[in-house]
Amino acid sequence: MIQVDLHKCTGCKKCEVACVFFHTGRVSNRLARIKVLNLYESGIDGPVSCIQCEEKYCLKCPEEALSLGSMGQIIVSPTVCNLCGVCEKACPIGAIEIFENIVYVCDLCGGKPKCVEACTEGAIIFAKGEQGPSLESIRKDTNKMSPSQKRLYYLKKLGADLRDKWSRKHA
Amino acid sequence: MLEYGYGGRILRIDLTERTFRIEPLDSSWVKAVIGGRAANSKRLFEELDMNCDPLGPDNILIFGVGPLTGSFLTASAYYTVTAKSPLTGILGDSAAGGQFGAEMKLTGFDQIIITGKADRLLYLLVTDSGVKFVDCPEHKGKKIIETTVAIRKEQGDVAIQVAAIGSAGENCVAFAAVVSSGNRVNGRTGMGAVMGSKNLKALAVRGSKPVALADTLAFLAESRKIDQDILTHPEYKKRHNLGTTMLMKDLNSIGILPTNHFQEGVCAYVEEISGQKLASSFKVKNKSCFNCNVHCSRYYLANDQEAEGPEFETLCGFTSRIGNRSLPFALEMNAYLNQIGMDSISTSEVIGWIMECQEKGLIHPKDLDGLSISWGEEEKIRQVVDMIAFRQGIGDELAKGAKEFSGRFSDEAQKLVMHVKGLDIICGDPRGIKAYGLTYAIASRGADHLRAEPYFELTNRKEEAKKRFGTEKAADRLAEEGKAALVSYSEKIALLTDCLTMCKNIGLCMDILNLERVSSLLKAGTGLDYSPEYLSKILADAIDLDHAFNRRLGKTRKDDTLPDRFLKEPLTEGPTKGATVDIQKMVDEYYKIHLWEE
Repeated sequence: MIQVDLHKCTGCKKCEVACVFFHTGRVSNRLARIKVLNLYESGIDGPVSCIQCEEKYCLKCPEEALSLGSMGQIIVSPTVCNLCGVCEKACPIGAIEIFENIVYVCDLCGGKPKCVEACTEGAIIFAKGEQGPSLESIRKDTNKMSPSQKRLYYLKKLGADLRDKWSRKHA
Repeated sequence: MLEYGYGGRILRIDLTERTFRIEPLDSSWVKAVIGGRAANSKRLFEELDMNCDPLGPDNILIFGVGPLTGSFLTASAYYTVTAKSPLTGILGDSAAGGQFGAEMKLTGFDQIIITGKADRLLYLLVTDSGVKFVDCPEHKGKKIIETTVAIRKEQGDVAIQVAAIGSAGENCVAFAAVVSSGNRVNGRTGMGAVMGSKNLKALAVRGSKPVALADTLAFLAESRKIDQDILTHPEYKKRHNLGTTMLMKDLNSIGILPTNHFQEGVCAYVEEISGQKLASSFKVKNKSCFNCNVHCSRYYLANDQEAEGPEFETLCGFTSRIGNRSLPFALEMNAYLNQIGMDSISTSEVIGWIMECQEKGLIHPKDLDGLSISWGEEEKIRQVVDMIAFRQGIGDELAKGAKEFSGRFSDEAQKLVMHVKGLDIICGDPRGIKAYGLTYAIASRGADHLRAEPYFELTNRKEEAKKRFGTEKAADRLAEEGKAALVSYSEKIALLTDCLTMCKNIGLCMDILNLERVSSLLKAGTGLDYSPEYLSKILADAIDLDHAFNRRLGKTRKDDTLPDRFLKEPLTEGPTKGATVDIQKMVDEYYKIHLWEE
């Protein structure tokens, strides 16, 4: 699974840029499978991507276009997918998004994630073979949100602990 | 047809009529200016009514990015805002990093050109397809981050990037800033006031046009070399940890840290206000611009405030320059100025100048609504800042800038304003860094180091100096010799960096960019043929154009100088003791190199 250390994230988007560049040869956050948010109101920056969650809500694809790879990554079959959007709605953290008729989700780059290589701060770690956490509690809260809103909600929640730590340090 | 690198389009917005027009970017036009700052200057030169009121509807406000902005190139994050300056009356522009430039690039517009004046306060949402005009009377008086969060919420998209003004801009303070990415400031020359005069609270951008390259693999190869050069650079670790705040102790150690308004160059309490102190006591994490691996910015908590920064200029401006030894207070001011959108350099000059004039008995409290202020008086500094930003009482006059305000006082008081062409001098005493002195004197936006950033003179690379500039003296900070040649070289690389648009700390101070390297980056990025010789020529042309621009606005050779203090008063202490600047000698040489007439 992909793990993030928010304390080390500077919001530079090198992970996002590398992800898009090595998948498409271009740069655009719309085409990224890992998306960085800069929350200026709290100083929190962080990437959101598939964390190979316990529940794997996205696999409930009615067309069975999504399957699980050997490393726990999500594989999308573009020939089977009919862009119904069920996976996008199902993911609690906005890690799957359809843009211009393509489903974007982390594929772990065949086991050597480019985002991890690109991060000079060591903020993204690839814990190979490890099972991701449960997203059940988050799902209840983000059920009706757009992918962008889900990412915001999720990152805010992750950032709350770090904010507490900062405040304690400066109390 | 521009297929690669460039967005290939420009967007024209008329605020009076609330209309917009999308035009193709002319490829031969842009090839002669590359992009970014030079393209903005050229556009302004071609389209501006030179006599227009900088705060009137005819002024043209341009947001510009370059062919490599938002690309795979490290630190390709910057954007430049350009207009006729309300502070100086000449060419005005200011660049900033953060995330705005890269997102603007994704809209596919290389320039956003804004004219007219809206009848009510509004913000603009620019996407690939054009502009949404959104009235926002409820955002009047809102701070930068509040405005950013509100716009993201209203539009339901947290990826929107916003460049906004605060109260200072709304109130047309002549040195008001545009601020993006929460704390990233286009501080100089009053671009925030131009926005305010147009009733434009914010420019929000959200794009979806990918940045494509002509030769992806060649671009990747060159970018990887650049990344290696950055990561193995001898200054990398220090820059990563401290960013530009490393300069507090560095400049103090060579006796040029402005102290008590440039009366001294050594600050006795530098340890208390240093970048190192900031990092150990207040910083909670590093922050970064788009796609950068230096991560030189910082996030901190202090005095019940939190913010990103400060950069060296703000830190020095609100500590030693105005005699304040409290670091938490400077950090509070950084957060506050960023949120009300006011340039910290010009603000600290107004304050420092008043302090010195009052110390010398040149300005009476009755000339300032009874205000009497001395070095480091925190509460009074807060008070003056608010008087300016909200134009209360005499603050209404101070808001026109130190030089303009000084006109009502004696010659002696006027001479103490540390400015060139009306723009307040940055924090670096030119008596001990001669190439910087020359840069302040000749820079086309007034006293400014970024036009050339001749950091080379501080690197002690004597052999390299001889090779590049014909004399070892080019690497001797106290010598005037060789500095015109150094500045004439580094102003090109500075401009080139601004055109791409990349970060100058990396491109120039870390000596990462040169003409050959940029030539291959541009070729791989855009598919257009930019040879090093061609680049050198068009950069020289662009510098000539800036010069012509200001000539047309009434500036002459005699404006290319420094405040008297730096020419006549030697510093009295430290490693720069006894030094003054022979500015005319350097300017003469500089003019000769440029073949400019008197």
